Amino acid sequence: MKGLPLLESDLLYLSPDLTPGALVRIAPARHMAPLRLPEAGEQYRFHFDMTKCIGCKCCVVACNEQNGNPAAINWRRVGEIEGGHYPHTQRHYLSMGCNHCVEPSCLNGCPVEAYTKNFVTGVVEHSADTCIGCQYCTWNCSYGVPQYNPARGVVGKCDLCHNRLSDGMAPACVQACPEGAIAVEIVNIAEWRADYLAANAPGLPSADDSISTTRITLPADLAPDTGRVDTQQIRPEHPHLPLVFMLVLTQLALGAFAVLWLLDWTGHTARLWISALASLALAGVSLGVSTLHLGRPVYAWRAMRGLRHSWLSREVLGLSLFAGAASGFAGMLLFDMPGRPLAGFGAVLLGAAGVMCSARIYLVRARPAWNSGYTVAEFFATALLLGPLFVRATGVSGAHWIAWAAACGGAAQLAAQMLKFLWLAQSETFELRASSRLISGQFRGAFLARLGVLVAAGLVAPLASGRLGVSIAAFALALAGEWLGRWLFFVTVVPKNMAAGFPARAKVAA
Amino acid sequence: MNIKRVIGLDNLAGDYAYARDPETGYTAARRIADQWVSTTCGYCSVGCGIEIGVRGNRAVAVRALESHPVNRGKLCPKGLSEHHTIAAENRLKRPLLRRNGKLVEVSWDDALGAMVERFRATQERHGRNSLGVISTGQLVTEEFYALGKLVQLGFGTNNFDGNTTLCMSTAVSGYKLSFGSDGPPGAYEDLERADVVLLLGANIADNHPILCQYLEANPRKTLIVADPRVTKTAMMADLHLPLKPRSDLALLNGIAHILVRYNLIDREYIARHTTGFEELVRFLDEYPPAKVCEITGLSEEQLHKTAFLYGRAQAGFIGWTMGVNHSTKGTETVNAICNLALLTGNIGRAGAAPFSITGQCNAMGTRETGFTSSMPGYRKFDDAGDRAELAALWNIAESRLPAKRGLAYPDIVEGAVGGKIRAMWIIATNPLVSFPNQGVLRQALADLEFLVVQDGYHPTPTTELAHLVLPAAIWGEKEGTYTNSERRVSKVNKAVDPPGEARPDFDIFLAVAERLGCRDELFPGWMGPGDAFEEWRRVSRGRLCDYSGISYEMLAGRGAVQWPLPEGTPFRETSRLYEDGKFPTADGRARFLCGEWEPFPEQPNTEYPLVLNTGRTVEHWHTRTKTREVPILERLSPEAWLEMNPRDAGRIGLRSHDRVDVVSRRGRVSGVELRLTEIIAPGQVFMPFHYSETNANEVTQSAFDPISREPNYKQCAVRIERKGATS
Repeated sequence: MKGLPLLESDLLYLSPDLTPGALVRIAPARHMAPLRLPEAGEQYRFHFDMTKCIGCKCCVVACNEQNGNPAAINWRRVGEIEGGHYPHTQRHYLSMGCNHCVEPSCLNGCPVEAYTKNFVTGVVEHSADTCIGCQYCTWNCSYGVPQYNPARGVVGKCDLCHNRLSDGMAPACVQACPEGAIAVEIVNIAEWRADYLAANAPGLPSADDSISTTRITLPADLAPDTGRVDTQQIRPEHPHLPLVFMLVLTQLALGAFAVLWLLDWTGHTARLWISALASLALAGVSLGVSTLHLGRPVYAWRAMRGLRHSWLSREVLGLSLFAGAASGFAGMLLFDMPGRPLAGFGAVLLGAAGVMCSARIYLVRARPAWNSGYTVAEFFATALLLGPLFVRATGVSGAHWIAWAAACGGAAQLAAQMLKFLWLAQSETFELRASSRLISGQFRGAFLARLGVLVAAGLVAPLASGRLGVSIAAFALALAGEWLGRWLFFVTVVPKNMAAGFPARAKVAA
Repeated sequence: MNIKRVIGLDNLAGDYAYARDPETGYTAARRIADQWVSTTCGYCSVGCGIEIGVRGNRAVAVRALESHPVNRGKLCPKGLSEHHTIAAENRLKRPLLRRNGKLVEVSWDDALGAMVERFRATQERHGRNSLGVISTGQLVTEEFYALGKLVQLGFGTNNFDGNTTLCMSTAVSGYKLSFGSDGPPGAYEDLERADVVLLLGANIADNHPILCQYLEANPRKTLIVADPRVTKTAMMADLHLPLKPRSDLALLNGIAHILVRYNLIDREYIARHTTGFEELVRFLDEYPPAKVCEITGLSEEQLHKTAFLYGRAQAGFIGWTMGVNHSTKGTETVNAICNLALLTGNIGRAGAAPFSITGQCNAMGTRETGFTSSMPGYRKFDDAGDRAELAALWNIAESRLPAKRGLAYPDIVEGAVGGKIRAMWIIATNPLVSFPNQGVLRQALADLEFLVVQDGYHPTPTTELAHLVLPAAIWGEKEGTYTNSERRVSKVNKAVDPPGEARPDFDIFLAVAERLGCRDELFPGWMGPGDAFEEWRRVSRGRLCDYSGISYEMLAGRGAVQWPLPEGTPFRETSRLYEDGKFPTADGRARFLCGEWEPFPEQPNTEYPLVLNTGRTVEHWHTRTKTREVPILERLSPEAWLEMNPRDAGRIGLRSHDRVDVVSRRGRVSGVELRLTEIIAPGQVFMPFHYSETNANEVTQSAFDPISREPNYKQCAVRIERKGATS
């Protein structure tokens, strides 16, 4: 009995080998693996039958065993959804590995080309050897599929056990499921692209983000209010401190060089090179420190491989070019060389491009609170605030317009932050409202402090006094405020994700 | 610090390498074994066949034993990670003796010397029955058989019981009263062949998930689940009966009432194989639908639908677990289940059975061989013929066999409080988590002169209190047999050596016997579990639980075999009890028994307005001694939670994830995470009991079934407070 076609799709099953002496029974479908490779225009995908799943989590355990992952990393996860009212309550489970999307956002974001979508099987594969641990894919995926393993310094994810499939064996999760709720099947990509409604389910982000290929069979009578059970407790995200440090300082450098370029252009001659070199040093250090964010800093140089699609690669390129151009401009200031207006303008332009690339990194659908113009506004407002304050604090110029520029930056940042909060708080999107709840709840003190700093150091101080001491204090305070703000930017984003189980504390057992 | 790792040259590729192996296919290299040892899962009583992958002396993987008839190539999440229990950090490696208040390592010689000396001294001073022994459902049958002889004949105390009294003793009592003997009549296959399956207080999706595939493979069935909570199993049902807490006996009587009223009964079966029908019919007059619906909270439509479905079924199956057993009316509820089966002739046929789904991996083994609530082979203490037969088999004076059962588990505990029990031996169980009303238990154990705890792990809340802790080998480290819920005997095999000086319980029992000087008499020539099994085959011959046709060789070849299998009879894949309608009672007939519904003992009031229900979750096993050692299971279910309906929470201003205290008249569980959910009815709350850190049994009550002595775990009155609101 071979090649018994089941279901309406192209799914083919291998018949179980019956061991002599075993009872011949209607075994639930096991060894569920397609018998053929996908043809052109097709790919493998998971099918999950919610009507069969009993939430036993065998798939999760089997996946961790298969891949030797520590308990805290689960390439397959089971989430719980609930709806209705007692006794007409409904509870269902979602089991999900990787959705092997038609348009994988992890792959598009990856700066080092660690991801490939297998052109035969459609499996989104990830190379732990190529990966540098930047974790940008973990920000890009709306389902939380790629997971960073701090012990290894690299990300990992479900690869549909394609090495088992090619041996004619079922993936670990499929094989483990006692209810036959998970299967692998073949899908026609063009047809799926035209209608992928079956990829959506309560408790899952919209499949629009990346066209998930996982087909989900839902219960026919799902209660309309069926939804996640894990939304009552919002956990802050990782702060990524090296990035907090780097982003603010590169933006400071952009602002500082813009001011220095204008000062130089308008005929100001006093020792501008001091300020230029100082800000360059800060930016340089920050770029170096930012590699500490990587799981594998030694391979930071790979980060420009993905220029064709990754904003992270483009940021690295943009900020490197800015650093080069700014060094050139600083050198010209130091040695009083001609052609500075043009060189300075070039440096500022490259800096602006670099900061824009920085901002674009965060404009991802999987992180709704980042995915708005406020991110761009926040980054440029930091430049406009800190650049002038820095130049004033280095004492090279007391020009009044610099103070006004800083105040404009402070006001812009203040407005951006308050408007963003109102936008979050009034949104009907769960992740956005959850972000606002983090800001107004757990992080209220930090948020208010940041606003206070913006008023004091960004508005009042620069306009009230031109004394060097005040300028230095204002700069230091404003810098601290922006770091605090950027830290809030990272910790208060609530990513899209699949529904989780209820337990609030994801206790990590060694 | 690995500098190459910090800078990223090394990404631990070696630790995360994959490899291809003909046995496992492509998988994590660290899982690849040199050899696979087939055995039986050591958690629950489903009794799944499992193989342990061994490399060196290390269990590196497990997988389902494909040829095993029970689990069909599948395992639950606990089974799938079971090898992690073996090399756990908390394994006990050497005997520990309390000296100057502290447990210190001692030699086996000193440990056994101290144990026997102290037990003997206590017994000499306070009488033989001042020693209480609490056994388990976790050992192999051969160990239970040896332990029973050692305790009853060697130590000479009959105050011997197992943790099975916290679990299945109600089913045992119920079967004995209705059918004349213990022994679940049906088989798992019945789940697949029934057209109506009624599950009562049985959340098999969490507790016996591997049985769900039998239901999944049965397209004809109508599944009815009676449970006050919308469990995972209730979600699988075609018809969920959300009855009020412990109204099951009224429901069953109400169903019986409708069956009789509409003549949905098998009068021929009743006439030929039962007694007590007339009396039952008169009794059932008291349970008209309107009254039953008031008690149960169900609609008359739900009640009639259930009764008609079951009454008209070609093959009706009733399965139950702790929702029924954990009750002061448990035995009578089991009788009421048996009544339904007898009324409709739904017994002894494919798909038709009243069936207790047992808890522990070898609770059945101890029921058959254990010498606690009955003598080995389901022999009755009070039956002179049974005593004479057993004495002859053992070649001992009949007077050495007790003529009545000793104290049951809760009564041993109570006896310790009263000074009747002065020394105790606790084997492979952890009452400091699992026993109801922990305050009483703590008092009991504190009053003991000498407490010996034998376990694979230390510390557990119970070993911490012991005067002597004996390190035992666990699953994967010893040999024997388990018998599962459907009477199927499976071989248990050793894959690796126990850690340190830990020894199989079997060896410990023989060593204790040696010290006592009764080894040669009780265990003549015994070297290993195989000798115990051979003797047990002889002792069980001719009994309902007849093992005489089962041998280790047969188990190795067939994987698992159901009893009864008298020597010389042909092997059958699936056997059922009472196929011929003959029951092991004096007149060969089953009995209809009338059990009056009563409200559960501790009703809620204004001070304690909520009913606490306790239970389990799929990731953990009992008191979590083993599963807390498995990182992935801890990850998936790290701590206890309390389920409460939002309508109740609104009144006291609580929200999901708040930390709350559960308070009863007896105690307090502090800092449980609150889960607001419609899974639970208003007026009720639920929490799992696995977690020693937040132990539900601090608040449960000392109320026991008068016949089975099983605790009424499932209902007690509590109030919920914000953590630390009062204390």
